Amino acid sequence: MPEVSKMKKPDVKVVLLGDMNVGKTSLLHRYTERKFRDTISTVGGAFFLKQWGPYNISIWDTAGREQFHGLGSMYCRGAAAVILTYDVTNWQSLAELEERFLSLTDTANHDCIYAVVGNKADLIDPKAQMFQDSGGEPEDRTELEKDRTEPQVLSSCPTPPASPASPSGMILHKPVTHEDAVALYGRILRYKGLEEKSSLPAEKMCFETSAKTGYNVDTLFETLFDLVLPSILRKRNENQASPTVDLEECRGKRARTSCC
Amino acid sequence: MERDNHQGEAQGVHISEPPSESSLPADTLVTSLSLLGNHMFPDAGEKQEEINSTADKEEPAELQQSDVALKEHSVAEPHSNQLKRLETEEAETSVDLNNVSTQSTDREKEDTAMDNDQSDSGEFVVTMLAKAKLEEQGIGVKGRSSPLLEAGTQESPAFMSHRDEDVTAESWRQHRKHVFVLSEAGKPIYSRYGSEEALSSTMGVMMALVSFVQSGDNIIRSVYSEEHTVVFLQKGPLVLVCVSSSRQSEEQLRGELLYVYYQIVSMLTQASISRIFEHKKNYDLRRLLAGSEKILDGLLNLVDSDPSFLLAAVHCLPLACSLRDSLSQILQKAITPNLVFSILIAKNQLLTIVQEKTVIEDTRLEPADVHLLLNLIGASSAFQAGEIWTPICLPLFNPDCYFYAYISYLDPPECTVCLLLLSTDKEAFYAVAECKRKIEEAMAAQNSLSLIAKAQSYSVSQVGVSDLRHFMYKPFDVPDNYRQLTQFTSPEMEAPYTSEEEKMRLLDLYRFMHSRIHSTSRPLKLIYHVAERETLLAWVTSKFELYTCFSPLVTKACAITAITKLLRWIKKEEDRLFIRYPPKYSTTPNPSKSSRGGKSDQQDTTDNGYLSLL
Repeated sequence: MPEVSKMKKPDVKVVLLGDMNVGKTSLLHRYTERKFRDTISTVGGAFFLKQWGPYNISIWDTAGREQFHGLGSMYCRGAAAVILTYDVTNWQSLAELEERFLSLTDTANHDCIYAVVGNKADLIDPKAQMFQDSGGEPEDRTELEKDRTEPQVLSSCPTPPASPASPSGMILHKPVTHEDAVALYGRILRYKGLEEKSSLPAEKMCFETSAKTGYNVDTLFETLFDLVLPSILRKRNENQASPTVDLEECRGKRARTSCC
Repeated sequence: MERDNHQGEAQGVHISEPPSESSLPADTLVTSLSLLGNHMFPDAGEKQEEINSTADKEEPAELQQSDVALKEHSVAEPHSNQLKRLETEEAETSVDLNNVSTQSTDREKEDTAMDNDQSDSGEFVVTMLAKAKLEEQGIGVKGRSSPLLEAGTQESPAFMSHRDEDVTAESWRQHRKHVFVLSEAGKPIYSRYGSEEALSSTMGVMMALVSFVQSGDNIIRSVYSEEHTVVFLQKGPLVLVCVSSSRQSEEQLRGELLYVYYQIVSMLTQASISRIFEHKKNYDLRRLLAGSEKILDGLLNLVDSDPSFLLAAVHCLPLACSLRDSLSQILQKAITPNLVFSILIAKNQLLTIVQEKTVIEDTRLEPADVHLLLNLIGASSAFQAGEIWTPICLPLFNPDCYFYAYISYLDPPECTVCLLLLSTDKEAFYAVAECKRKIEEAMAAQNSLSLIAKAQSYSVSQVGVSDLRHFMYKPFDVPDNYRQLTQFTSPEMEAPYTSEEEKMRLLDLYRFMHSRIHSTSRPLKLIYHVAERETLLAWVTSKFELYTCFSPLVTKACAITAITKLLRWIKKEEDRLFIRYPPKYSTTPNPSKSSRGGKSDQQDTTDNGYLSLL
């Protein structure tokens, strides 16, 4: 195998999950390209490699559509961090995280860290709206605005799960408060069987971002990258013990599941 | 015209006196049909006349010339092969190009047919739906009669997505081709224009027609009105309907509906669609297709603008034979277990395609599957960033299974050269991505990208025949291997076919020629067609299918000489115009996982079919 390709081997995996139209691709695009532009519904999953200091971090931007739901656990396998994304203006998108997406993370690393991210904060938070990203102004404001307020299909929404903040099924478009997100984070930890005291605190792992203005986007990714570094170092140590483990691991996976 | 008036009257009466609607002739199937018609098509008498007169201008010319064509002029009973009583009745109103001379008699017959219809006994289901329809009609007519609303909708298309179109507006009715997909329960799944919700009762009527005919142990295939052709296609639990005012044949329209069906299958697989509807008859399939509308929209735009779909053949980018071979070899060397197809695409055209050995022995990649792949790539600009890994089904290869497609552009940020690798292994992303690195390195070493960038389609002037404006040539014997992917070659469309309207006009002429050649009742081998602004010659033999377009002043003798020259030129250039010897590879002997299953007599990669072909 050529030397070049070996260097590119990712050290750690970060996965973006969340319902359709919450802005996963836009978040990643804002972070990598420093731009906000119209995106098209993602097909399957898109793989990006991000150089973070001496490390290669792979980021999987997954499709939120139900059509690709079956692939979620494959994208999550061995993930060191999962970014659970919702739309702050759409309560249902937060509920979907718990109903549809949380179970996909079963294949992630046991020490995987979770971030709960409310995107489109510019629509409810003046602070996020006024934020100026170094990358420049978003182009074509009005059109994007229109795209984002596209109606969600209410009929296809199941009733939201019981939670302290749970509204009646009717007002699913009410904004999501920070407390809702914090409460979800607590439930994620319980689902994973993790102690709240020994895990990362909710204040640190619940973000509100705006891919449109860039608000909190760098903070989100950089916080996560710093947090997964120990995981990288551990993996590197394991690799030193057996330098070929990466390849073998790949093969092993392939042999386990074959699907058509 | 008479029919049209009748429709207008019926509509007027129903709308002005809604309480008495049950006592009106809405009880008949035909009225419900005309109601569907009224919703779909405007009753614009003037426009109809225009269409008829242009048809009249063109057809006599064609008939005069038709003695050279090897066709019979017997006036066959129109649509005699059609299955349904309803259809034969409606067929009388169709503008049948084959039977210009019998038009007037048809119109006379039509009157009697209509009378008979009126006395037909009513059908309960249809009546109910006709009533539902009437309510919607009321809204529709209101919208149309208001000048304010009309002005609004005329301006709107500039900033409104066609998803938000007002389905009661005149502009919506005027679309050249509507496509609807619905479930057997009558639930809307897709509409090319307007939102599915707004069209749910229209689709309900369509489903009523389908089930009404089905209840008589029959299948509804098409409905003809003067301006429109309505074509139905039932595939498993899905019903696809096309309402077209283009002059395409029923078979062509049905072929297009089949592409729409295949694109849906490519996203969900046939097996899962059947499973879903077996489980829950009134499932809302839009849940699973949400986000894919743009892929279907893109497909329908391509179907209208790209003759590949009409010809069921793949258009590959002309490339020096040596360059294409070296690209194939690069693909052939970058393999991993369970990789089955490696495809290189530039400017949305095929550069080369390399297949796994056992796969090519069992089956071949169908052009339709390639079209669906090309459409998927074209419709998803998201592919331009990052490396995509997504399940995709190739419906003609196997409608029930997924391949896993790796899609990545090799020349960011331009994103014109795209690599597509198909594996049968869901987990193979990293292994397949590794193949891409190898391909990238090899291509960099050979400077392939800059050579590909120079490749372009050719001009018809290179053929050196002065009167020849454009052609499409589809050989059946390239290379001398019947397993080969069907291809065609065609030059760029040049003046006078530079505007979108002119391009479409030429394609429409080709579609007309194609429908004549492939007519199910009277297939033709050769047509010399003098149209208003050009002369066309279509010729099909056991070796090829050829469509040519000449300037209008060409003589028959000239055209025939030109075609001889053209065929000679293609023969000389065929190494450049077509993928001649597609190489194969064999991935590690692990045949059990290949979706087509196990041939164990695989040879080593170095000693495969490619070398033996050379």
